[in-house]
Amino acid sequence: MRPLFFAVLKYFAAGNEACRADVQAALAGEYSNFKAFKDKAMDEALMTACSNGLIDESRYELDDKGNLVIYYKSSQEGIDTINSYIAD
Amino acid sequence: MGEMHVASAALEAKKAQEKSYRKKGIFIALMSGFLYGGYTAFMTQGMATGVWVDYYGATGVAAGLSAFALVYTLSAVGAAVNDLCSAVWTLIYAGIIGRLGDFVRCINTKPGRILIIAAIIGGPIASTCYVIGLQMAGSIIVPIAALNAAIGAIIGRILYKQPLSGGMICGIIICFIAAVIIGLFGYGMPEGGIGAIFGNISGQAGLGMFAAFLAAVGWGVEGAVGGYACCMVDTEVAICIRQCTSGLVNAVVLCSILGAMGGDGVGKGLALVGHALVDGPSIWMFFIAGVFASWSFKFWYKGSSMCGAALGMGCNGSYAFWGPFYCLIVCGLIFGGEGWMLAWQGWVGALVMVAGIMTLAISQDRASKAA
Repeated sequence: MRPLFFAVLKYFAAGNEACRADVQAALAGEYSNFKAFKDKAMDEALMTACSNGLIDESRYELDDKGNLVIYYKSSQEGIDTINSYIAD
Repeated sequence: MGEMHVASAALEAKKAQEKSYRKKGIFIALMSGFLYGGYTAFMTQGMATGVWVDYYGATGVAAGLSAFALVYTLSAVGAAVNDLCSAVWTLIYAGIIGRLGDFVRCINTKPGRILIIAAIIGGPIASTCYVIGLQMAGSIIVPIAALNAAIGAIIGRILYKQPLSGGMICGIIICFIAAVIIGLFGYGMPEGGIGAIFGNISGQAGLGMFAAFLAAVGWGVEGAVGGYACCMVDTEVAICIRQCTSGLVNAVVLCSILGAMGGDGVGKGLALVGHALVDGPSIWMFFIAGVFASWSFKFWYKGSSMCGAALGMGCNGSYAFWGPFYCLIVCGLIFGGEGWMLAWQGWVGALVMVAGIMTLAISQDRASKAA
């Protein structure tokens, strides 16, 4: 089992475009009981990965409740960086 | 019209979120410097209390301690006791917030190993270089050691392609000048004036200045590399790795080496750590210092990962003011120690630092938007 943040980055290294809720849905099976799996902590982890160039914002929208939803995707450079630090 | 309104509302929400993230990053980076002051003050007070009076007097359990040990080994023992206390607190806190599992899972990974190496470079190695520099060259090393933020910014630029504009360099220089003012003149003009600082530069002082430069490089590396690692490793996990590594390497490796070098015996350093760990009058101060250190270093890493090494380390550089400030409050006012009063130059330095951090923050914002 990988550390939670490694799993999040590897999810993007697989080429997925996803918002925070998508990532949570994909990883819920193994990580839903983690305290760092909560919305706020996950949002911050994604924004930090984004500000360091591991993932990029691809688009954003408002959901039905008027909340901001940001989608992220990794560029090839980001994917290469993630894979160089985190082994398969 | 409806779609345009939604798009505009989404854009506004995104801008607000970016602003909030940025503000939080700067606040966290500033807090790292502020909390470092508490760590400095309680550790300083701890090292003047209880068994430490025997240590520095070479009496009691420390009878016959070499002159070398009084300067170098005891400094490492203090750092070891503080970092071990900090590691204990950090692990307890990690258990409470559910990070111990990821701590174990992260240690033997590439980012985990990078954090371990960064902790060794910025912890035991850089701190020892700083003490060596101070002993061999005196206070002239303060400005050299203050170069750590600039070095961190350069490393961030080279390794991680982080923005570094002319305005940001200007901000870093202003912060550097502020740290020099506080470091050299925070307690008033040194005896003999400025000439006493710059007038006695010998070969030995040159070596001391080189040691201080190595300390600055060590801290620069740790801030930039450790900060970047926190975009992959949870900061709560990273700080566990940092404090456990630094505490153990300081206590077991560094104290043993220094004990042997001073002729006190390989086991003497570790024995001194042991006595200090069970010394009631001082250990609680080290534990408080350790809690401050845990939050300070965690925020140092987190600030650098959120703002980039240049701004993160620039804000963290406010420790140059908060260290003497906390010492004034804790060692001077609370414990009644003498000689902790800050001179007006110290307060001027603080104002210069505020100007430097603002220049750095505004320039970094512009550089990020232009990128």
